[in-house]
Amino acid sequence: MSGPEAGRGKRRGRWSHFSAQNVPLLLAFLILAGTVIFYVVLFYASLGRFPGNFELTSTTNSALPLVFATVGQTIVFLCRGIDLSVGGMMDISNSLAAVKMQDGGIGNMVGWSAIILLIGAVGGLLNGLLVAVGRLQPIVVTLATLSIYQGIAIKILPQPGGKIPPGYTAFLTNTSYPSALIFVALLILFWLIFRRTSFGVAIYAIGNDEEAARANGVRTTRTRVGAYVLGGVFAAVAGLFLAATTTGGDATAGDSFTLTSIAAAFLGGTTIFGGRGSALGSIAGAFVLSILISVLFFAGIDPLYQSFYQGLFLILAVVIGTLVGRLVGRKR
Amino acid sequence: MSGQRNRLSSMRLLRTLTPDRRRTAYAFGVAILLFAVGAIVRPGFAEWSSIQAVLTVASFVGFVAAGQMFVVLIAGIDLSVPWVLNASAILLVTSSLGQDDRTLWAVMLALGLGLGVGLINGLGIALFSVPAVVMTLGMNGIMEGLTLGLSNGFTCDACSSSAPPAVRGAVVSRLFGIPADLYLWVGIILLVSFVLSFTTFGRRIYAVGNNLRASYLAGINVRATTVILYMLSGMFAAFTGIALVGYGGSPSLGIGDPYLFQSIAAVVIGGVYITGGRGHYLGVAAGSISLAVLISVLQAMNMPEYGRSIVYGVVVLLVLLLYGRERREA
Amino acid sequence: MSASDSNSTAPAIEGTEISKTFGAVKALDGASFAARMGEVHGLVGENGAGKSTMIKVLSGVLSPDSGTVRVKGHQMELGNPQVAQASGIRTVFQELSLMSWMTVAENLLLRREPKGFARLLKRRDLAPRAEQVFAELGVENIDPLELVANLTLAQQQIVEIARNVIQDPEILFLDEPTSSLAGREVEWLFGLLDRLREEGRCVIFTSHRWREVERLADRITVFRDGKDVGTHAEIDESQVITLMTGRKVDTAYPEPPPLKEAEPTLEVRGLSGPKLSDLSFVLHKGEILGVGGLEGQGQRELFLTLFGADDLSEGEILVGGELTRIHSPGDAIRAEFGIALIPEDRKSDGLLLPMSVRDNLMLPVMGRYSVGGVIRGGTEKDLVEQMIERLQIRLRSADQAVDTLSGGNQQKTLVGRWLLADSRILLFYDVTRGVDVATKQDIYELMLQLISEGRSILFYSSETEEVAALSHRVLIVREGKLSAALEGPNINTEEMVAAALGEDVRA
Repeated sequence: MSGPEAGRGKRRGRWSHFSAQNVPLLLAFLILAGTVIFYVVLFYASLGRFPGNFELTSTTNSALPLVFATVGQTIVFLCRGIDLSVGGMMDISNSLAAVKMQDGGIGNMVGWSAIILLIGAVGGLLNGLLVAVGRLQPIVVTLATLSIYQGIAIKILPQPGGKIPPGYTAFLTNTSYPSALIFVALLILFWLIFRRTSFGVAIYAIGNDEEAARANGVRTTRTRVGAYVLGGVFAAVAGLFLAATTTGGDATAGDSFTLTSIAAAFLGGTTIFGGRGSALGSIAGAFVLSILISVLFFAGIDPLYQSFYQGLFLILAVVIGTLVGRLVGRKR
Repeated sequence: MSGQRNRLSSMRLLRTLTPDRRRTAYAFGVAILLFAVGAIVRPGFAEWSSIQAVLTVASFVGFVAAGQMFVVLIAGIDLSVPWVLNASAILLVTSSLGQDDRTLWAVMLALGLGLGVGLINGLGIALFSVPAVVMTLGMNGIMEGLTLGLSNGFTCDACSSSAPPAVRGAVVSRLFGIPADLYLWVGIILLVSFVLSFTTFGRRIYAVGNNLRASYLAGINVRATTVILYMLSGMFAAFTGIALVGYGGSPSLGIGDPYLFQSIAAVVIGGVYITGGRGHYLGVAAGSISLAVLISVLQAMNMPEYGRSIVYGVVVLLVLLLYGRERREA
Repeated sequence: MSASDSNSTAPAIEGTEISKTFGAVKALDGASFAARMGEVHGLVGENGAGKSTMIKVLSGVLSPDSGTVRVKGHQMELGNPQVAQASGIRTVFQELSLMSWMTVAENLLLRREPKGFARLLKRRDLAPRAEQVFAELGVENIDPLELVANLTLAQQQIVEIARNVIQDPEILFLDEPTSSLAGREVEWLFGLLDRLREEGRCVIFTSHRWREVERLADRITVFRDGKDVGTHAEIDESQVITLMTGRKVDTAYPEPPPLKEAEPTLEVRGLSGPKLSDLSFVLHKGEILGVGGLEGQGQRELFLTLFGADDLSEGEILVGGELTRIHSPGDAIRAEFGIALIPEDRKSDGLLLPMSVRDNLMLPVMGRYSVGGVIRGGTEKDLVEQMIERLQIRLRSADQAVDTLSGGNQQKTLVGRWLLADSRILLFYDVTRGVDVATKQDIYELMLQLISEGRSILFYSSETEEVAALSHRVLIVREGKLSAALEGPNINTEEMVAAALGEDVRA
């Protein structure tokens, strides 16, 4: 029909396609596995025993804020956007929780958690409207809203303080056993469902080609706004986990998460050009970056040089990913 | 014949300015408006000395933004600005040890650092197809680690030096009552604008920013252009570090941090398309001035820190909305 | 306006006295168009005549400045594509609306995916459902699980057509549906459209290839300068061209004069690379060497490799008898080699659309006319004006953005660039694609002029007759190898097609 190279009637298997089309994702898992192995080896070399429950728990707990921030960033990446206000929203979420939940009480904690998620949604809505309806570039919009959200957070909590009730911490980031992994499992479940909703498909579509998506009947404006709203909600959730794990409030603690969530999303195989990627890879990427810090510690690296190794790791991981992708492409 | 040529040159200038003229005018207009607000709020704000101070602050943003503009024009971005700036500033001080006879050497070293990091950025992006965000973000981390590590947390012996007087003089001394630094900026504005509008290199930049593939098939060496532009960005970041140290006397950790977002904001407010291919430096200079005025006005109003953050963000959004929508991407 | 007919039922779709202006350009000027159910209606006209604009208006993509649109007799405001689609109208545009990073099945079934529990997509069912669709439509050899980005352009076009057809449209518009198709694929489309006609649907299509319009269309409407100039059921090619251009245009292909000396200017030995295997041939000074064969056999790769845009793994290229090291288009363009490539997609691979005509013309050679990197405005102005004059490029000013020019003038600008570069070896890859009849003639004349100046042309076109008529010799490429070389004064298309299919033919 279209020439011999189309393959007359023969079809590649489902798995052959999956592996070829998901090289970045598989690579992310490979990197995660590699990092974990490195960690275990270094840990054993350093302390003479294998990491146990305590290490698993603390690693998971410290990774969780980044995990949620990265998933939110990923959803925005998928529709060809970027969200620099992630850190600012985490600041608001963190500070508000620390201020308002001080007195404990289940109703108080649940109520304020809900309110904070709503605030995340509103923040995301602002971003989304400016980008999708105002047709402004996401990088500058979220840069401006970052500034706004940071300011709001400082107003809420001018000095680090406040307190997160122990019950809250125990629920979200229990220090005795890695119950937080349940939240990771829920996140994965969420993602698998999300991929199969028309909203999820729509986000991939507008990331691929907005005009084409519109021609196909996708409500592009609505979808894009929705993506940023989700981004805001996830940032708020990340802030709650940050509060739980640090047990206190700090209006600037979330700032570093902006760039780190971007790095983790790239590690996980999502690109900033939209239309390709998966939150599953992002979860892996977030864990990788978190464990990396421990790896550096147990390898005896001078903590002053930490950023050096993190930066180098990021670049190497992406370069290797690109090279592997090219090789796979050539072999077909 | 030369009369024809002059007419042609100004036609060319018009051509490159006209579509963006509105935005440049807006950016300058915003600056003037904010100056007026400042003058109302705090008498003396619009005095010559105060204007000079603001313009000096603006010049630093402008220097960084020049480099950022070059890479944004080809749809790239340079996130390594903060720590290239910081590292160069510290390198200048530690290699000159505050002495004039080592100034030239120290300045070259510091600029060389910027060029070197830019080279690595450019190679990673052009040869290995590493996305600009990742490459420059990674290099930023690398520079941060190297700076902190090699200076032992900025506690090294040489670290307590200050900038050599020659450098300080180049930035702070006055000629006819105007700080040398501003002359420097005007020179850079002229030079950069000339390169963009009247040289083959400038044309190459716009071509690559508009359509990489078509530029390649028209014989342009896209890779070389990319690498050179990232080297320019690194150099400008380093230059800003030197200038900052000349202004303030001695560096500290974190002086580069605010300049990342400032440079991006200045570039966009200046009318440069973040997707590349359009824009010029005059607009970016106007954007830098607007941002500097805004910051100064907020300080003059004695607004608490949180208020400054919020107003800053709101004003940037308003300016963007004023420009109208970006074109839909084809 | 409409041809006389005794059928009194309302047309399936009708645009009456539609006007549409974009800035300074009046795309439609009180044009009317009507098509019936159960017919295939051809819409012809030069580039810029208004065909695509009319289709966009009738598809709800554009709103007319004035005029009315009626669907099955009912006046409608087609404010956006969704409204049109709800009325049973579907359109296959020239710009494909496919998601490159999604699979064929995902694209095919976008928004109509098989759903399961809680209205969630059933991923497992995507591929089988897509296979079903393909079987129904007679599409073979497209793997539903393949990423659209990995398909050939022809396959992508087929997926796009299929995607629209399965939505069961009553009225189907196709704008240049065969632009990327060839041979059997075109036959497939013909069969499909015939079937749609039999099912009583209304099909409207545009094409620059007269053979197709003649074969398929029940009626033909001709557009010129934004107006309709006639709807006919019976009409021949020259009449159509007269209507399209408003004057008599000679459609005969000009004959190239016979080659006097056989002085080689480009020699290729044992060229191997992506999709190419051991190709050897010689291009002579003043020769037009045609390249034929089925689409996708490596012709494109050959052109890109000769231009330095693709790497060769083995083999040698000699220019003027000297072995060359060409690693990039920048090398190929250098004065000592003087090779130029005019790619098929001028908008994405050739021209820098937002930049000026002057910038586009000067781009490859600006180094030669600058001093120390500084552009010499006066010199450039003269060169540019000369070239515009020579090629008769219609524009207001050389500083105009190239995307404001018509397709034909854009193509001339692209060719002009390489004339400015004084290129001696010109690689013309499908230069007449999407170009109107009058400009095509201009390009043929230009080609003859170029070879009379001693330049050489390697010529590939998707229209076999062009290649047969204009070339001194024709190379047939099959599976990346040279399968035949046709010579002699009377190369014809039958020979070329036979050779392309691998049948024995006189060498």
